[in-house]
Amino acid sequence: MNLLVALQIGLHEIGAHKFRSFLSMLGIVLGVSSLISTLALTAGIERGTRAFMQQVGGLEYVSVVGKEISNAKFEFWNLSPGRTLRDAAAIRASAPFVSHVSPELAFGAAISSPGHSDRKQVRGVFPDHFVVARHEMKVGRFLTGLDVERGLHSAVIGDDILAALWPGSKAGEVVGRQFRINDRPFEVVGVLPKYEREEDRRRREAGKVSPNSRQSRRWDAFRGKNESVLIPFSTMFYEFKAGAFPLDSMESARLDSLTLRVADLDKFRPTLDQIRGALDITHRGVDDFDLETREEWFDRMESSIRATKLSGGLIATISLVVGGIGIMNIMLASISERVREIGIRLAVGAKGRDIFVQIIVESVTIAFIGGLLGVLAAIGLIAILKSLAPTENVPVMTLGGIVFSVGFAIIAGFLSGIYPALRASRLNPISALRYE
Amino acid sequence: MSLIRLEGVSKIYRVGDQEIRALDSVDLRIEEGEFVSIIGPSGSGKSTLMHLLGCLDAPTSGRMEICGNDLSKASQNLLASVRNREIGFVFQAFNLLPKLDVVHNVELPLVYSGLRAPERRARAEKAARDVGLGDRLANRPVQLSGGQCQRVAIARALVNNPRIVFADEPTGNLDSATGEMILRMFEELNVGGRTIVLVTHDPGIAAVSRRVIEIRDGKIRREYAP
Repeated sequence: MNLLVALQIGLHEIGAHKFRSFLSMLGIVLGVSSLISTLALTAGIERGTRAFMQQVGGLEYVSVVGKEISNAKFEFWNLSPGRTLRDAAAIRASAPFVSHVSPELAFGAAISSPGHSDRKQVRGVFPDHFVVARHEMKVGRFLTGLDVERGLHSAVIGDDILAALWPGSKAGEVVGRQFRINDRPFEVVGVLPKYEREEDRRRREAGKVSPNSRQSRRWDAFRGKNESVLIPFSTMFYEFKAGAFPLDSMESARLDSLTLRVADLDKFRPTLDQIRGALDITHRGVDDFDLETREEWFDRMESSIRATKLSGGLIATISLVVGGIGIMNIMLASISERVREIGIRLAVGAKGRDIFVQIIVESVTIAFIGGLLGVLAAIGLIAILKSLAPTENVPVMTLGGIVFSVGFAIIAGFLSGIYPALRASRLNPISALRYE
Repeated sequence: MSLIRLEGVSKIYRVGDQEIRALDSVDLRIEEGEFVSIIGPSGSGKSTLMHLLGCLDAPTSGRMEICGNDLSKASQNLLASVRNREIGFVFQAFNLLPKLDVVHNVELPLVYSGLRAPERRARAEKAARDVGLGDRLANRPVQLSGGQCQRVAIARALVNNPRIVFADEPTGNLDSATGEMILRMFEELNVGGRTIVLVTHDPGIAAVSRRVIEIRDGKIRREYAP
């Protein structure tokens, strides 16, 4: 007997007992739909988290931070100049595994345009900042080497600054406009795009919620980037810093931030060693710096994603197992109802194997149909979840998740069919024929 | 060579620690083309004998050959394939599948001999027409009379073109006129060259055959030609 015939018989049998078959499928339907939904939810969280990781600079992002000097070297504190542009130069010169270095000066200043003013953090940066901080341009250009060399009064602003200085204006209109930082005139040369989560972007585009009503109350990972006021490093130093520290040159001014980008993640450790080596020399052996990486932070996020996946998957798996038991129960009931039929089939020449295959095919078919219904249910369930409790991360239904869940259901159907099938195939034809 | 050959065949059932000797070293030969009746009261062992001859069961001891297959120690699978190829059954209770229509009931043995669907259907339809059910192909057993049901069963028994047809009380559930007609069909089949083995408790019915084997207490008590 071939599988096609077994499938025909199975479908016939399922069709003959629609309600019973549906009941036995129900467990699988619930199991598959919850498994797919869980996978979709975690896939959404995963995607959101990865997008966030990318936005904050990715794993390649390394920050040189200040640190308290250890007791052993405390006496030599004044040997170290701290984090300066020399550090950046040293890293560029002797750490070839580093692709970009971004030293920064920062200070809070009043920014104003005619009619509007605000206090914001202003940062003096080099062109490398564009890459290290993972910026994109919406209109205009980023700061160039020429801006820094000449100390030009150019500025690149984020989306929130645009809204604060020229409410209602579009990014394209403000390039070339002047505004003031602590009363010194600057010209906007470029505007950054609005950085936001996928979900926020979608909601804004659908026009559901006004862009600032909820976000302002919530901590927003991209707020820092959206509030950027970026000017050339040299301009920052000469306009706003030099007066405060007359003895400093631009080279020796203490940096507020020194971040960099690792060229190749496979060489992450050697790269860190190179950076340490370079900084040990510029800091004259004083351990007043440390390298801060995203590894641990990202690892924590990854492991929490894994934990979510695992626990959700486990619960869904349990319900699939329960569904499988439901199928087994129905199949057992079905074969004890069909003993005589099995006896007749045996009498006309069916082998035990044929009966076994038939029961297995039936049970797998029930599971498969249940799985397909489960996929439909999952689509509905996810739609309901989206509208009832909009999460930060949109659930993503993946083909992989669907295939995995339905495959799992089929396996559950197969396993739960084995025992009933064995029992059916071992029936004795004579007593089966006599069975009433 | 005999179609059926039994030498010292016994069948022993164990119920608890009691042994029930349902068949006690039976010797029997049936040649191709014979029309044989096996008669005996209930409990005589005639059903057991029919189960053995019909390859539904293997003997406990002794030598059994059917259509050239040595089935003395046969596995369930070998018995099944001999049943499928060489043997057709007609039961007292018809034993049709109520969920299937006539054609599908008739083609059941072909399903297990691995034929493709179009050929199965063609052969099943022909077999059904041969027993006079050409206009009932799409009917279910509940829509048929007892006699029609038994004819479906005969069509099913013949569809694989087996060498032996076993009939176990084939008229037991039918009125006498219909029963007469069914017996007539067996006679015709036998005239066509088919070996028929009829099991019954009624010597009157056994009279249609040309050789009667009477069983009692698990042994062949006598043989006669009616």
